[in-house]
Amino acid sequence: MTDLRVDSLSKRFGGLRVFQDISFDLPSGGLLGVIGPNGAGKTTLINVISGRQMASGGRVVLGDRDITNQPAYAISRLGLARSFQQTNTFKSVTVAENVARAVRFGRRSAPAGLSAMLVDFGLAPRQQEIADKLPYGLQKILGLVMAFAISPRILLLDEPAAGLERNERKIVDAFVHRVRESGTSVLIVEHDMDLIRRLCPRILVLDAGTLLADGPPAEVLARPDVIAAYLGEEAA
Amino acid sequence: MRGRISLFGWAELLAVVVLACGFLVPMYTRSVLVYSVLNQAFIGFIAAQSVWIMLRMNLLSFATPAFMAIGGYTVAIAGQYDITNAFVVTIGAFLLPALVAIPLGALVLRLRGTYFVLVTFVLSEIMQLLLFETPALTGGSNGISGVPPVTLLGVDMASNRQVLQFCCGLAILATVITGALTRFFRQHFAAIEENEILAESLGLVVWRFKALGFVVSAGVAGLAGFALVSMLLTAHPSSFASATAVDFIAYTIVGGRASILGPLVGAGGLVYATNLFGTHGQYAQGLYGVLILVVVLVARGGVVGTIASLAGRWKGRP
Amino acid sequence: MAEFLQAVIIGLSLGAQYALLALGFTLIFGILGVVNFAHGGFYMLGGYVAYSCVAYAGLPYPLAVLAAVLAAGALGWVFELFLLEPLVDDHLATLMLTLGLYLVLSTGMLTIFGPLAMEFRFPVSGALHLGPIYVPQENLIVMAICLAALAALWTVLYRTDLGRGLRALADDRAVAMAQGLRPKLLFPMAFALATGLAGLTGALVTPILALSPGVGDPVLATSFLTVILGGLGSLEGAAVAAFTVGLVEAFCSVYFGGSIGALILFVLVLLLLVFRPTGLMGRTVRGA
Repeated sequence: MTDLRVDSLSKRFGGLRVFQDISFDLPSGGLLGVIGPNGAGKTTLINVISGRQMASGGRVVLGDRDITNQPAYAISRLGLARSFQQTNTFKSVTVAENVARAVRFGRRSAPAGLSAMLVDFGLAPRQQEIADKLPYGLQKILGLVMAFAISPRILLLDEPAAGLERNERKIVDAFVHRVRESGTSVLIVEHDMDLIRRLCPRILVLDAGTLLADGPPAEVLARPDVIAAYLGEEAA
Repeated sequence: MRGRISLFGWAELLAVVVLACGFLVPMYTRSVLVYSVLNQAFIGFIAAQSVWIMLRMNLLSFATPAFMAIGGYTVAIAGQYDITNAFVVTIGAFLLPALVAIPLGALVLRLRGTYFVLVTFVLSEIMQLLLFETPALTGGSNGISGVPPVTLLGVDMASNRQVLQFCCGLAILATVITGALTRFFRQHFAAIEENEILAESLGLVVWRFKALGFVVSAGVAGLAGFALVSMLLTAHPSSFASATAVDFIAYTIVGGRASILGPLVGAGGLVYATNLFGTHGQYAQGLYGVLILVVVLVARGGVVGTIASLAGRWKGRP
Repeated sequence: MAEFLQAVIIGLSLGAQYALLALGFTLIFGILGVVNFAHGGFYMLGGYVAYSCVAYAGLPYPLAVLAAVLAAGALGWVFELFLLEPLVDDHLATLMLTLGLYLVLSTGMLTIFGPLAMEFRFPVSGALHLGPIYVPQENLIVMAICLAALAALWTVLYRTDLGRGLRALADDRAVAMAQGLRPKLLFPMAFALATGLAGLTGALVTPILALSPGVGDPVLATSFLTVILGGLGSLEGAAVAAFTVGLVEAFCSVYFGGSIGALILFVLVLLLLVFRPTGLMGRTVRGA
């Protein structure tokens, strides 16, 4: 069964093409990695799927519902959550209040693994601290936990490891495993190739707004055009 | 950066207590000037609260004069039909602007916040034209004069003292309504103020809370218009000039947007300061302009926020 | 028929003025994300500077117009660089700063020149009679200059590197910056360009209409209507909308008289927001 189907989706800003004709399926309970050089349109892809930005063409189907260009809150309520690349919390309130807001706004009961997650990721002892005062890594992880707190069927993660220390990145692995144990499908946009290799059985490669490759990482990353796309970035 | 203050409920309580002192003023003075300044301050505070409600969600509303006009003219027109019962006209002055705000809010608040600012600004300009262009209903450029005083429990609110006390009562009512709304939805409003994108991605239907705020804000502005008409006993387009929107915004920002005490302090202080200009009242807007610049550049919390953060720092010292 | 043609000419003349104002406003909003409440203030400033140059310094009117452009542009540049720049990403703060500036500007003019309208006359008068149509020469001159300024602006925006940079910033700041554009340099320039245009419009139009400290408000309201109609941030939309607004106003005043035109425009804008919230040519407007 397919949870999320993206069908020749495209996005333009004025005359600028961000991505074009992107199609893929995310099967129920699946895990999909999306990689690509800077400016390939990865974040915009998440923004368009989650309703932050309007699609210029194509469709996004959640289960059997067409959610293309629905408002972000409606898509969220249908069970598609997303995290943000920059730390994204309610900075002036406590960790506990942040999590409580996520659960309240999501209008479902808190997911089963939530409190265990808070304990394991080191947020439980800091429940009463103001989010802004947490170390950067913890703020970022709090953002991930909040996206999970609305009990989504599908979770889109926008560079969850960006800005994290090496040792903190393990937490992203643990987070993804936990989320999948609860039956949620996950799509990860990420720059950290090791993390993608570790986690994802299947990856998409975006380059200059088009879908360059789709398949298992070992196979895809060996392709000459994919290597060229990345070498191009290093040369730039 | 922003002055964080934790005022849990007692800010509203304090505001009501301060306002209630207005009832006692007639025991100490009969000065017409004092009464007039106090009335203006009450009206300014009610109007500023209507701005403040929207500022809780980072939206700057220029529509206050438009909704004041709807509230004020509702009362004046009701008076022409001998409807002067204070409870009835108060409800009317609140409800009519609120009703007008429903479709407008549903329309504009789904869009980017900028649209709200622009549309509310234009709305106030348009309301002026509407008042002039509908003489059958509003008396056009003559307005409606000789509005009968409202009757509260059978007593005409006719004397200066009664008008003052009635305005005071309206200010308290507005504070209770505003306080109840912003307390009840505190988490939602705060989430929208701080990170609207995150709130929406978590499933909060942001525009509905904005629209709800806008509707109540319009009702509160209607009460300000009511207070103004009951003070002047006339409803005239010039009382609801679109330029006054800026005054109410200045009261709110200069006083401080973090708590309801901000618009109270701002309205009180700036109405008093404006009266110091005497007959040169038109220069007051320059003062407002300078104060707004100062607040935005160096004292983000406004008067109340700055005092609170200074007090917090002082308390924080060993 | 004569009435109709007359309305068309008035409408185009108004449209050209509105286009200069609305394009500046849109440029500032598109590039900096700032809602410039002082836009009407720069228009007013342009009028007063031109007036002062003519009345006190005895300069010929064309030089006075040039001085107005420079003064409005310079003030815009300084204001952007020193006050707006540090807070440019805080939309509410920049809005309040421009509002504050507007209040200070209009009170400043009130203090210097008093509340009454100035005796400021366009140096050319008389009318052109084209068959049954009667067109004031001053309107034609203003329209010509406005159209020339529009053409110049178009050339700058679409035919020069500066313009390409500005439009890229307006399209997507992050992408534009990634491609090496420098907002620190371009922001004040864009702001000055826009306020200079407002100053130009003020210097040209106030001698025909009126010059008093209150002239900024209706200008601002018309600019707002225009940019909503055209779609926030869309230059092409602003231009098309400006001429639409001008023509609607002209036809309403010729055929109905009074201020009904503004009411009709407001209703038009509300209808547009219901059925096509992106404006005539705008883009995504949803949400924050």
